Amino acid sequence: MSTKTPSKADILRPIGTFSKKYLAVYSIAALGLIAFLIAWAYQLQKGLIVTGLGDWGTGGGATWGLYIGAFIWWVGVAHGGIILSASVRLLGMDRYMPVARIAEMTTIGGLSAAGFYILVHMGRPDRMVTSVLGHFHITVNNSPLVWDVTVITAYFVLSATYLGLTIRYDVNRLRDDLPDKFEPIYKIITFGYSEKEDEIIQRMVWWLAAAVIIMAPLLLHGGVIPWLFSLLPAMPAWTGGIQGPMFLSIALMSAISGVMIISYTFRRVYNWEHIITDDIFRGLLLWLGFFTLLFLWFQLQSVLNGVFLGPLNTAHAAEGKMAHPAYQVAMTMIFLTLVYIFLQAIRPALFSKTRALIASCAILAGTLTEKILFVVEGFFHPTFDIYSATPGTYFPSLIEILSLVGTVSLVALLFLNLAKLVPVVELHAIEHLTGGHDHEHGHEETTKTETEPEVKA
Amino acid sequence: MSTDDESFHPLGQEWEDELETMLDDTEYDSDLGMEMAKDAMRVTKGELSEADFHEKYHEDVMDEFGVDDRPTEEAYEEAKKNAGGFAEMLKSFDGDGDESRRDVMKKMGVGAAAVGLGAWGTAEGGQPNVADESGGHSSEAHREGDTQWGMAIDLERCDGCLSCVVACGEENNLDQGVNWMYVLDYEDAGADTSRNRLVRPCQHCTDAPCEKVCPTTARHTRDKDGLVLTDYDVCIGCRYCQVACPYGVNYFQWDEPDVSTEEIAEANDGEGDMMVDDRGRWVDSRSPRGTMSKCTMCPSRQDGFSGEEKVGTSACEDACPPDAIQFGNMRDENSDPQRYIENPSRGRALRDLGDKETTAPSLNAIEEDIADADADLASVLEASEDLDEETLRTMKAIEIVTEDFGEGDADSVDYEVHISDIFDLLEEHGLDLDSQEVLVELDLADEPDEGEEFDGADEGDAQDAIDDYDGRPSSSFKLLEDVGTNPNVVYFGNEPGPNAEQVEGPSAYADISYERADGSEPNLVDNRKEEVLDEGTVGDAGVSL
Repeated sequence: MSTKTPSKADILRPIGTFSKKYLAVYSIAALGLIAFLIAWAYQLQKGLIVTGLGDWGTGGGATWGLYIGAFIWWVGVAHGGIILSASVRLLGMDRYMPVARIAEMTTIGGLSAAGFYILVHMGRPDRMVTSVLGHFHITVNNSPLVWDVTVITAYFVLSATYLGLTIRYDVNRLRDDLPDKFEPIYKIITFGYSEKEDEIIQRMVWWLAAAVIIMAPLLLHGGVIPWLFSLLPAMPAWTGGIQGPMFLSIALMSAISGVMIISYTFRRVYNWEHIITDDIFRGLLLWLGFFTLLFLWFQLQSVLNGVFLGPLNTAHAAEGKMAHPAYQVAMTMIFLTLVYIFLQAIRPALFSKTRALIASCAILAGTLTEKILFVVEGFFHPTFDIYSATPGTYFPSLIEILSLVGTVSLVALLFLNLAKLVPVVELHAIEHLTGGHDHEHGHEETTKTETEPEVKA
Repeated sequence: MSTDDESFHPLGQEWEDELETMLDDTEYDSDLGMEMAKDAMRVTKGELSEADFHEKYHEDVMDEFGVDDRPTEEAYEEAKKNAGGFAEMLKSFDGDGDESRRDVMKKMGVGAAAVGLGAWGTAEGGQPNVADESGGHSSEAHREGDTQWGMAIDLERCDGCLSCVVACGEENNLDQGVNWMYVLDYEDAGADTSRNRLVRPCQHCTDAPCEKVCPTTARHTRDKDGLVLTDYDVCIGCRYCQVACPYGVNYFQWDEPDVSTEEIAEANDGEGDMMVDDRGRWVDSRSPRGTMSKCTMCPSRQDGFSGEEKVGTSACEDACPPDAIQFGNMRDENSDPQRYIENPSRGRALRDLGDKETTAPSLNAIEEDIADADADLASVLEASEDLDEETLRTMKAIEIVTEDFGEGDADSVDYEVHISDIFDLLEEHGLDLDSQEVLVELDLADEPDEGEEFDGADEGDAQDAIDDYDGRPSSSFKLLEDVGTNPNVVYFGNEPGPNAEQVEGPSAYADISYERADGSEPNLVDNRKEEVLDEGTVGDAGVSL
C-alpha cells in the first residue's frame, strides 16, 4: 500500500511537533469544554429546571433525556473500544494493531465522558460519595444503577491498567526520544520496570483481554447497561431480553465509528498512510457493516414484537417508536450506511477514506439519536398510559445540547494531551509491521542517532 | 461462604456461632438445639426424612419444653402447598405476632427451628436478608410488624371535587403541579363512563420498585408502619425511582421549592415540624431542591406530632367531603379500610347514616319529633322527619351485620356510636327494635312458622337492605396488581383498562387554589411541564421529540 517503512520516528512525530493547527484545535476543544462547564455551573445554581426534563405521568415530561441517552452512548463507545482492542490482542488480529491503542484511549475518553454525565445528571451531585458509597453494601444487592456504577468503575480500572501496561513497555523503549519536560510522568509510568517483566506483562495483558471479551456481553454493555432499563416492570418500550444484544451491537458500531474517525484524523495529520493503512479502514468498515446488520436485525425483532397482536402496552410502545420521525431518520441513515458498506465490499472501487469517514459519522449520529430517543420513549409509552399529559413533551435545552459539545471536547482534549505525552500507536505495531525484533534493533540505532541532536538541543 | 469451615450451615460458621450464642441466652438446652439444627440441615439435603427427624427428637423436645408443637408430616405437606412453606411452620412454634423475630427465636430455643429452618429457607433458594442488617432499609417482603398504613378508596363515592388534592398541597406546602394526590376522570371502552374516575395517591407498595432501584436507600420503607418514604438528606436526585414507578406518582424538585423550610417550621410549631419524623429523618413535606418527592401518607400525623387524634388519618382523608378515602392500618381487620373492604356497601351506608356532621339523622331532632308520638314503629316513623322506614331499616341492618358494633378505635366507630345513640333514644321511647314485630315490619326477619320460635334478625336480609341503600360497588381492585408491586391501596369502582385515557373532570385544576405556609394561594396545576417547568428551561425550543 505504501512504500514508506513504518519507523519509531513515525509514532514519535506527534510528540515532537507543535503546530499552529494543533493549537487551534486545542483552543476550540478547550473552549467547548469551558462553555459547558459554565453552563453546568449555571445548572448547579438554578437546578435541573434549566433542562427540558419533567416528571412523567401527570407532569407531562420525560424524567430522563439527553443526559442519560448520551451517558449510555458514551459508555457504549467506551465498551466497544475496549472490546475492539481486546479482540486484537486475544484473537491475534494483528492487522488492527496500529489502532488498538487508539481504541483503548477512546475507552478511557468515553468512560470519562460517561462518568461526567452521571454527575451532570444528578440533582445533588455533592452527595455522590456519602449517599452512594455509604450505602453501597446494601444497594448493590438491588439497584441496577449501582451495578452500573460498579461495573463501569471496574472496567475503567481494567482498561486503564491494560493501557498503562502497554504504554510502560513503549515508554521504556522510547524514553530517550521522549521530551524531558514530562520526565516525572515517565518515571511514574516506568516505575520499577525491568526487561524481565515483558513476558509477564504480555501474559497479563492477554488475560485482561480475555476478561474483557468474556465479561463484555455478560456484564457490561450486554448486561448491566441495558438492565438499567429492561428490568423495569412497566415501561414496555424498554422491556425485553433483546436489549442486551441490541446495546452490545450499538456499542460496537459506535466504537468502530469513533476509532475510524480518530484514526483518520491522526493519519491525515501525521502522514501515517503506511501505518494506519487503507487496509485497516476497509477491515473496520466491514466489521462496522457486520454489527450494523446485527443492530438492524435486533431493531426488527424488538419492533415486530408488539406490533403484531400486542399485548397492548407493548404494541403502543412499538407503534410510538416506529412512527417517530427521528427514529425513522436514524434508521434510514444507518440502513443506507449499511448498503454502502456492502456495495464497497462487492466493488472495492467504491471505497474511499472520506466515504468511510462519512459512514462513521452517520453511524455515530444514528446511534446517538437512537439512544436519546430510546430513553425518552420509555416515559412516553408506559403501561399505565392513562394520564392526558402522557406522552409528554421533551426537547433538550441548550444546556443539554451544550453538554454534547462539552463531552466531545473533553475526549478531544484527552487525545490532544495524550498525543503529546505517549505514542498513540504502540511500538509493538511498528515492530510487527517491520517484521520482528531483529529488524527493529537496526532501526533503534538509526533513530537514536537521528534524534540525538534534538535531545541535545 | 467458605467450604473449609466446619459449619453445617450454608451461611457459615459465623452465622452458626451467632445463633448458638442466641440459644445460650435462653433457658433451654443449646446443645439439643444445635444437634437438631444439624439434622434439620440433613433434612434439607434429603439425607433425613422429615418424619424421622420428628420422631428422633420428639421425646427430647417434650422433655425440654413440655410440648412439641412441631408440625407433623401431614402438616408439613400442607404447609408446602402454601407459598409460605416452612416460614408458616415457624409460626406454629410460638408467636402471638407481637414479638420480634429474634424474640420469637429466643423463646423457641430450638436450634432446629432457629438454625435449621433458617437453613431450610436458604436451601430452598431464599437469601439471607442482607437488608435487615442495615437497619431501616428493609426489603418489604420480609417486613414484620402489625402496622401497614394504606387506603381503601371508593371511586364511586368520589365526586371529583379535588378537595383531597388541595388538602395535600396545603398540608405539605407543595409547589404547583406537584400533585402527590391526583384525581382524574377517564374514558374507557365499554364501561359505564359516567363513573370512570381514579384517585391516585402513592400506592405505598409492599414490593416497591422505586425502593428496589434506589442507589442510595433514600427511598425506603419505614420498618414500623410500612410507609414508603424518601430521605431528603440522602437522595442524590438520580430520579431512578420515578423511572421505575409504574404509577407515575413521583415529582422531582427541579428548582428551589416555593415555600422555605423556615416557613414550614414556623407554621408547624407543635410537637414536630412536619418535616422530620420520629426517627429523626427528614421525610415529610415538600422536598428540597434536587431531590424526589411523592405522597408520604402523612408520617408526621402517624407519629403523633399533629396530635393523637390525627394518628391513623391523612390530610386527603380528612378533607374528602363524601368520605371516599378510608385511611388506616391494612393489617388490622378492625381498621377503617379493612372494615370497608370487608363490606363496602355497609361502609357507604354507615357513613351516610352515622355522620352527624353531614348526612346522618339528628339525634335532637328525632327526640323533639317523637316526644308526643306513640311507642309503635309506625307512629315513630310518622312523627320523625329525619327517620323513615328505609333509614331505620338500614341503620338496624348495619347493626345486625356488624360484629362489635360501636366498639373499636376506627374513625367509623363514631358513626356506629351515633346510630347506637339513636337506637337508645328509640328504646327509651319504648320502641323495642329487637322485637319480632319491629324486625319483621322492617323486613329484617322472617315471621316464624307456626309452632316455631322466632330466631331473631336475618343477616341475609340485613345485608340486602344495606346493599339496596347505597348500592354495591361494581368491583374492587388494586392498581396494576399484575406488575407485582403489592400496592396497599384498594379501590372500589371501575378499574381503568389498558385503553383508558384521561378526560376533563367535573372540577378543573386551574380553577382551584390552595393556601401555603408562606401565605401564597396559587392555583392547582395539572400539566407541570407546560405550565411551570418550561419557564425555567434554557432555550425552550417549543418543540418535542
